[in-house]
Amino acid sequence: MAVIYIDNVPYEVKAGKNLLEACLSLGFDLPYFCWHPAMGSVGACRQCAVKLFKDDQDTKGRLVMSCMESVRDNLYCSIEDTTAKAFRSQVIEWLMTNHPHDCAVCDEGGSCHLQDMTVMTGHAYRRFNYKKRTYNNQYLGPLINHEMNRCIQCYRCVRFYKDYAGGKDLDVFAAHNNVYFGRATDGVLENEFSGNLAEVCPTGVFTDKTLKEHYTRKWDLTMAPSICQHCSLGCNIIAGERYGELRQITNRYNGDVNGYFICDRGRFGYEYVNSLNRIQHPLIRSHVPEAVNRETLFDHLKPLLSGKVIGVGSPRASLESNFALRQLVGENQFFSGVPETTAEMMEIILSVFNTGDVRIPSMKETEEADVVLILGEDLNNSAPRLALSVRQAVRNNPVEVANTINIPAWHDAALRELVQSEKGDCFIAYPVITKLDELASGTYYISPDEIARLGYAIANFLDPQASAVPDLQGNMQGHAVLIGNSLQKAKNPLIVTGVSLQNPSIIKAAAAIAAALGEGDRKAMLAVVVPDCNSMGLAMMNAPSILNSTALSTIGSPDTLIILENDLFSISQEAQISEILDRSTNIIVLDHLHNPTSARADIVIPVGTFSEADGTLVNNEGRAQAYFQVYMPKNENLRESWRWLSDLKNLRDGTTDANNVTPHDLIRQLADKMPQFTGADQAMPTADLRIKDQKIPREPHRYSGRTAMNANLDVSEPKPPSDPDTPLSFTMEGYKGLQPAPLNSFFWSPGWNSNQSVHKYQMEVGGALYGGNPGVRLFNHINPGDRSYMNGIPPRFKPDKENWEMLPLPHLFGSEALSSLSKGIAELSPQPYVAINSMDAESLNVDEGSILQVIIEGVQYELPVKIKPELPARTAGLPYNLQELTGIKWPAHGQLVKG
Amino acid sequence: MESLSNRKKVLEQKPMNFWERLYLPAIFQGMAITFKHMFKKKETIFYPEVEREFSENWRGMHSLKRDEQGRERCTACGLCALSCPAEAITMIAAERQKGEEHLYREEKYAAVYEINMLRCIFCGLCEEACPKEAIYLDGPIVPANYLRKDFIYGKDKLVEDPINIESPVAGN
Repeated sequence: MAVIYIDNVPYEVKAGKNLLEACLSLGFDLPYFCWHPAMGSVGACRQCAVKLFKDDQDTKGRLVMSCMESVRDNLYCSIEDTTAKAFRSQVIEWLMTNHPHDCAVCDEGGSCHLQDMTVMTGHAYRRFNYKKRTYNNQYLGPLINHEMNRCIQCYRCVRFYKDYAGGKDLDVFAAHNNVYFGRATDGVLENEFSGNLAEVCPTGVFTDKTLKEHYTRKWDLTMAPSICQHCSLGCNIIAGERYGELRQITNRYNGDVNGYFICDRGRFGYEYVNSLNRIQHPLIRSHVPEAVNRETLFDHLKPLLSGKVIGVGSPRASLESNFALRQLVGENQFFSGVPETTAEMMEIILSVFNTGDVRIPSMKETEEADVVLILGEDLNNSAPRLALSVRQAVRNNPVEVANTINIPAWHDAALRELVQSEKGDCFIAYPVITKLDELASGTYYISPDEIARLGYAIANFLDPQASAVPDLQGNMQGHAVLIGNSLQKAKNPLIVTGVSLQNPSIIKAAAAIAAALGEGDRKAMLAVVVPDCNSMGLAMMNAPSILNSTALSTIGSPDTLIILENDLFSISQEAQISEILDRSTNIIVLDHLHNPTSARADIVIPVGTFSEADGTLVNNEGRAQAYFQVYMPKNENLRESWRWLSDLKNLRDGTTDANNVTPHDLIRQLADKMPQFTGADQAMPTADLRIKDQKIPREPHRYSGRTAMNANLDVSEPKPPSDPDTPLSFTMEGYKGLQPAPLNSFFWSPGWNSNQSVHKYQMEVGGALYGGNPGVRLFNHINPGDRSYMNGIPPRFKPDKENWEMLPLPHLFGSEALSSLSKGIAELSPQPYVAINSMDAESLNVDEGSILQVIIEGVQYELPVKIKPELPARTAGLPYNLQELTGIKWPAHGQLVKG
Repeated sequence: MESLSNRKKVLEQKPMNFWERLYLPAIFQGMAITFKHMFKKKETIFYPEVEREFSENWRGMHSLKRDEQGRERCTACGLCALSCPAEAITMIAAERQKGEEHLYREEKYAAVYEINMLRCIFCGLCEEACPKEAIYLDGPIVPANYLRKDFIYGKDKLVEDPINIESPVAGN
């Protein structure tokens, strides 16, 4: 702690910060551009000038950039000093000389940091009457729009893209008054985090191109706090709607999870919500016409629910929905709709987490690691936001030197100068090259079984009591010793693994390493990537997989099969799924989009997507986080799955709920029934929570057009929809002050219209939100002892001439079914291919691009060859879960025949 | 209770006398006034055939302006809707495509622009807020109508007629 004097008033602030951060944390409005809470200071824009005095006697003082000044005890400075104020307003006037002043047509207008800062400094009139310099804009792909004329040269974009996210293709060109931020040539931005440019850029140079299709100002959006549905990390997002259409996804700060950034899949993958392929009405296939109303549906369903009913839960449905289904069908009739191997891997993950042998890191904590070992994951494609964290983690070791030579942690320019390309240790074992390989001190392109064996060898090196790996390949022991030594020396080692390669042994091996590393209270971090947004939540319900053979025998031939938000045909082979579906007399599917499973259903019930429903998800670290309905769909058939299922339960039992069932009620019941969910009910607030007797608005107070926007439907202005499920209201009325962190519908503060206003919601800049970051960590109940994961070393991988090992290779764009329905993402998804190494290609006598027939359990695919020289022999990589390649039962083996 | 202002006048109702109770004098008095008006200038006009002269700061129906080349000035920035105290304006923005430069002045335009005239209070804040001089309340009185839906004014009713603007240019 240090005491500083701002305009002669003493304040106690945290030491180790810079003056700008301290001032902002104290609530002062100080303009800035180049400084970013996650990226530190470079002192480039000269905007945050304050006057600094030598001591309390000094009256003259000198101007300094507050972002480049360390906080120290007895620091005297003035924000209100006239020279400082004049300096700040002159700087902005000068920055604005070339700015086109096109706010009226700019997408950033209304949520623009430059607008806010211009108003803040009082620059209101343009005195510069000369020609402005103009640029040609570039095509940067279907996701990001480029408008260089608006640039004020703060350098944030390249600092984020190149320095923070490791992008290669965005740079700064030319000099002086002609500085240009862009690519060398037109083309799609390659980095997975390019969408953040729209938020990092203080003005409208980089904007969300998908928003342009249905442009809406920030003040006109109905927004709600939400959770990204496109991978298992559970990044916090804000989803915005207008005219009944989901229009924009932006980052929602959560200091423990995603911080300031999300990946492009999460930001741009929302368009399926507006898809024409949405199920709009309840359908009864045997009924003419198929589309029916609710009464007919319930009449038809009533007899079907009394027989033997089996429920299939979904890893992409909320805890509430899965629990409502479990309540409807009963514990023993509830199965999880995940492939058998996934279920097995999830079981291992849960048992490891429950032993307490490892520390489950939050994404923030992974950034603090100093040595990273990645076993069998291509993070940039399977859990992109985690890759960004790992990228920061490898800097920790070299940055440590900075402390010894007095460079503060926020001084980005000096740190980068000091660190150069030096990196901490990072080891990656994966069959093909990944984007993180450039950071790695060791990369091992080996088959999944070999990855597991390498992992076990490391565990054995660290803890000789762990079982030794027999028949270890030549240099493997050397690698294991190298990695083991580095991990042993590490202060805060991180092991990352996951389910991508569909190999349970890898997860066991990773757990064995983490357990061997831990001593007493100092446990090693083990981060695990799981398949879907609620895979962890579903797995914690301990329901067996529907594809499990023992499960199948208990199912027998049910009267009714209820499938919740799941396309079963995408998770396993068509024949296997058909066999299960054929057993049942009636199939009920609840989903939001038509898919092969809903095509097979006898009864289809339309449900709301994440933007039309409330729910709770459990992410890969076991953090329960709530997402909230953004808007009330015009079509009242689109209801939450849990509401339909609760209705069906009442229908069967002949009961009625005295009160409206709220998601909080369901979660509380869930936590009562299953102790492993204790605490999850804290994540979803009760519906009757009020602040000063008011609900929390989903709309900014400037929301416009309320009496006009629905006038084409009903000029008599119906009552706005009410929300009995949550403390949020669908209107702009409600409590305007600081909300509880999980209920932040949007970030706004007087004078701070852009997302930079988030610091007004943080206890200190870059720290936790007021009231703590949202989300509740589960896995508090540990039952130590079970170390069965230490065993199960797979035999050495032997290349098989006939039977190729198929490797599922995830892709950022394409491997997740829902996001792939967005136009931009579909455009960037890879075409199907089969990857083999050059030797194998030679032996098959094929070249890059020639067609190979891939036969997996009798199903034949014709795919062009892609040569990846690093692939292990007799393994073939297939893009995972691509639309054309769904329905493969992983792990898979197959034959490759020249076609 | 004492009057607060001390200016209260207590009125008393006197009983009518005989003449007053006849009512006839009062009737003739009234008729005289009526007759006098027959020879005075008429206070009423035959609206809508005849219209009153509006003052210069009269605020009537909105019109969306075009520039001197006949292009729509509105860029759908949303400031009119934002400033509207009755929340009666809504719009959908669209990007100008190549080849539409003669239709729209800037890169964006309002694909849909609607004012709910039942809600509008003709305060003129939209006019004041507009950074593009695109909306003015310089039209006539908004006419009466039979159906509520006919009070939703879209671009068809609001956008200035292009001919009015182009004709003086053609005349030059």
